[in-house]
Amino acid sequence: MELLRLHLLNYRNHEVLTLEFCPGVNGISGPNGAGKTGILDAVHYLANCKSYFNGMDAPLMRHGSDFFTLRGIYTTGSKEEEIVIHVPAQGKKTIKRNGKAYERVMDHIGLLQTVMIAPNDIELVWGGSEERRRFIDLTLSQALREYLEELVQYKQGLDQRNALLKALKGKPSDPVLFEAIEHRMVPAGNKIYQLRKDFFTQFTPYFESAYERISNGMEHASLHYVSDLESKEMQELLDEHRAKDVVMERSTRGPHRDDVLFTLNGHPLKRYGSQGQIKSFVLALKAAQFNYFVQQKGQKPILLLDDIYEKIDEDRAQALMQLVSSGDFGQILITDTHAERVKQHVNAPGLKTRFFTLDRNGNMLT
Amino acid sequence: MESSSRIVDDAIQALASFPGVGRRTALRMVVHLLRRPEPEVLQMAQALERLKKDLCLCRECGNVSDQELCPICMNPSRNRKELCVVADFSDQMAIEATSQFRGIYHILGGLIAPVDGIGPDELNIASLLHRVQKEHFEEVILAFNATAEGDTTMFYLARKLRDTGARITNISRGISVGAELEYADEATLGRSILNRTEYSF
Repeated sequence: MELLRLHLLNYRNHEVLTLEFCPGVNGISGPNGAGKTGILDAVHYLANCKSYFNGMDAPLMRHGSDFFTLRGIYTTGSKEEEIVIHVPAQGKKTIKRNGKAYERVMDHIGLLQTVMIAPNDIELVWGGSEERRRFIDLTLSQALREYLEELVQYKQGLDQRNALLKALKGKPSDPVLFEAIEHRMVPAGNKIYQLRKDFFTQFTPYFESAYERISNGMEHASLHYVSDLESKEMQELLDEHRAKDVVMERSTRGPHRDDVLFTLNGHPLKRYGSQGQIKSFVLALKAAQFNYFVQQKGQKPILLLDDIYEKIDEDRAQALMQLVSSGDFGQILITDTHAERVKQHVNAPGLKTRFFTLDRNGNMLT
Repeated sequence: MESSSRIVDDAIQALASFPGVGRRTALRMVVHLLRRPEPEVLQMAQALERLKKDLCLCRECGNVSDQELCPICMNPSRNRKELCVVADFSDQMAIEATSQFRGIYHILGGLIAPVDGIGPDELNIASLLHRVQKEHFEEVILAFNATAEGDTTMFYLARKLRDTGARITNISRGISVGAELEYADEATLGRSILNRTEYSF
């Protein structure tokens, strides 16, 4: 699957922009604020129906406009696919595939896969557990149709349950009302746990071998899925903690608290990892994500590398670029402030490349 | 923009508060009203006024009504052994329009949604439970939206009504009439196949 053409309308700082990509490596350069990241984010948006960087749609609209539109022309084998996403300031976002609108936005997710590597990914290690859940959710929902369905189901139940717990203000309530809300959460919660567990069984070996390659086998890195559901199933958890939940005014157990423990030679990465090891760890997570998509979907995701030189040291970036040039990857979009740096690093014989330069207003120069 | 009449402005603003009506449509409506004879417009205004002044809720079913009891509840030819529970009177009207149901109704006034601050106490649920206990229905049909809130409300009522002796049913969900399987969404089709029914001639 490759992105042939991308059209942006009022997306971030781009009023109108059209880019024609090559199937290999596409370098996008320009000064800070030119909107390089916005181009990668648009490609991410076309696959995931949301921004990689921003949970809300309104800040993505160009200042002063009341909508944005993204259009991508893809090729999957011999067939062309057109995806158009239209997001108005007021009203519902619509997603059309080859001119036909999806009934629900989520029906589109899973058709296209992207892997983004961006400077703020370091938050996967430093940030709270929600960062790591976001990574799991983003990966699984692009790969498995049913995962997103279960996640939505669980989230709806959880929101209702938490609203009820808040409204009760510590007072006990009608057990039937709890039962009515929880009966949707229970199967969804159990299923999410099962799918995440299966995911780590498959994903961890990809991750371990990717880390080994990146670090030249110096250390052993691993992932450990941590969940309340390891010891008890969902209904039991809810039953056991309901009285406490009423006092706390929120749901204290369930897959919404899941986490992943990152370890290096058996020790927690957060505490014992060096800066360099942490960077390698994050890269290995992304490489594993790539391999997981290839395995699950039988097609290479589009790799989006945002400003990798910003947070990664030159050596590691160069190693990454060599990896990128090796042909194991499919289509790649890279942004950098220096056009020459990318050109230098991406120069494998036979590799298709194309370079774009933006001026400070986001207009195309070449 | 300068306007020549405050009265016209007020009317536009009032009409633009309708769902699906913007300022332009509201303006067209005002122009239309200005062109109509006065009695007709006053009659229209009166019809609106009566919605708030004279309309009440049926003592039995909670539906909108002109009198204490609505015509459906008073109609002796309706089947008083079948009760259909709906969220709103618009749902009741939709079911009535099918002409497939000859029983009587109960209107909850909404669906359970703690997120929106609506719990069982905010709905006509106590009166429903009382009614089912008192009147010995053979069947209580739960007819709600196929949404999370509809599902939660259905579960809640089914539990609450379990020991009343009435048969509790819910309307079936699945492929729309005239629709093609290929284009049905997976959730709907999945449910249809799970809840398949015996073919009846």
